[in-house]
Amino acid sequence: MVSTVAVLAWNTVRELVRNKLLYNLFLFAALLIASSMFVAQLTIGQWDRIILDQGLAAIEVVGALVAVLIGVNLIAGEIERKTIFATLAKPVSRGVFVVGRYFGLLAVLVVNVAVMLALLAVVLHLAGYALSLTALEAGLLIGVELALVASVATLFSSFSTPILAAGFSISFFLIGHLLGDLRAFGDRSKSGLARALTHFSYRLLPDLELLNLKSQAASQLPVDPGFVLRSAGYGLAYAAVLLVLATLIFRRRDLK
Amino acid sequence: MSAVTRSLLSLGLLLGFGSATAALRSSAVARQPSKPELQFDIPAFPIEVAKPFSFGLSSLVSDLTFLEAIQVNGARKQSTSLAQGRNDDRVLSRLLQYSVDLDPKFRGAYRFTAAALPRHTSDGYAANVFATEQILRTGVRERPDDWQIAFQLGFIESFYLGKIREAGDAMARAARLEGAPRYIGLLATRLQAESGDLATAEQMASEMEAQASEEATRDTWHQRILDLQVERELRKIETAAAQFKARTGGAARDVATLVASHDLPALPHEPRGGNYLLQPDGEARSTATPRLRIRGRFGTQSGLIAQ
Repeated sequence: MVSTVAVLAWNTVRELVRNKLLYNLFLFAALLIASSMFVAQLTIGQWDRIILDQGLAAIEVVGALVAVLIGVNLIAGEIERKTIFATLAKPVSRGVFVVGRYFGLLAVLVVNVAVMLALLAVVLHLAGYALSLTALEAGLLIGVELALVASVATLFSSFSTPILAAGFSISFFLIGHLLGDLRAFGDRSKSGLARALTHFSYRLLPDLELLNLKSQAASQLPVDPGFVLRSAGYGLAYAAVLLVLATLIFRRRDLK
Repeated sequence: MSAVTRSLLSLGLLLGFGSATAALRSSAVARQPSKPELQFDIPAFPIEVAKPFSFGLSSLVSDLTFLEAIQVNGARKQSTSLAQGRNDDRVLSRLLQYSVDLDPKFRGAYRFTAAALPRHTSDGYAANVFATEQILRTGVRERPDDWQIAFQLGFIESFYLGKIREAGDAMARAARLEGAPRYIGLLATRLQAESGDLATAEQMASEMEAQASEEATRDTWHQRILDLQVERELRKIETAAAQFKARTGGAARDVATLVASHDLPALPHEPRGGNYLLQPDGEARSTATPRLRIRGRFGTQSGLIAQ
């Protein structure tokens, strides 16, 4: 089964490297990171802060767009184009198909984050700074966040159309960054129902702010490694849960 | 109805409705009620909205408002009156407050606030001082590792506001941080002495003397401890002189008079070998060293009215 997943993942990577949208998004991110050096010149001191803020934001936003826009097409697009039947005609279970496609996308996302971080390090070096440990930790957690967003896109594309799946996934990404405020809103509410609903949502939805170290990285503040490990573990475990759900739903889906 | 008639009718309807649309639109535009002037504040959204809706990019949004603040400051006219510069002051103050609210760890924004926000007006005011103090207080709380923010707070409080005790505390905090120059500690003890908080000043000076690795530094701090001892004795003399005046109705001639009248238990010791003199206005001084003082006009060093 592992080798089948690996083959499917590799085929997905080969398919994605021919995708023009992927290159356009990567180019956009690269331009944003490179231009941060010029934007930094508008400020007074602390150039590294502007470069890191803009660079890490570009890595995150472009990575999330890749995870959603390309992720939803990996399954739902195959179904729309009917190309999925050629794969499922072989001895490949639906669950393995979903997992293989996901890992292919994940590999592309990881390479994307690594390349963009390297580019960010080069821009920082040109401006006379170095990539700090906190910036690397922030990059690691962005990678975990993208893995989670990709799993959300995979889940929604397992039972929905690409457009709807993209809409749901982007909503998940945005809500994931609002959860802390949602909980605070619930705590301030006088309605017991509103409090219960917000607390339920807080527990159920992914808290993406736990995977956000961009501000600490920009301010060069040290972060407890225990926090980074636990947050990364939380994000990966959440992604695994969504992936399992996606395989369960996809097994029962009528593809006709 | 023939095909030609139908076509002509359709064309007529199209032209008729088209002309009516154009005529009605111009007529409606001419009678349109004037709109109340809509002017967005800068920044357009309150912080309570901007923070959650930056979706994890609050640090980047903070950078953008900070960059805008730099542009506003660059375009700000100097030497204007309080009223003339009020709008620019408000925008700059709001942008900087916004930046640090979005990212409370933004060291550069605090330092820039201290340097750019307070403004000396042409009509004798120091504008934005209270706003600066508020932002820097947040900075000291959020960035306790940065000596410059604490130093700037101490400067604002002593120079513009005459809050000598608070300024002394802020300077003392700055002096204990890594990288802080030695003069800040000396300034802190001077401020604390002025405010009457001699115990804290002596404690800090002793601490600094013990930590000093160079002989010259240790000697500087030792001299400051002696200054503080002198200040303590001068305050005792002044209290005794006030008691004497309250009891007898006249001013004491010298320190020996105070000892003779038992308002002072004994002749105070001057650690540098000088003498204590009592001036006619009841203020005491030493012949060996000037007194630790910092205040200027209006109880502040700036001599300006803070706004």
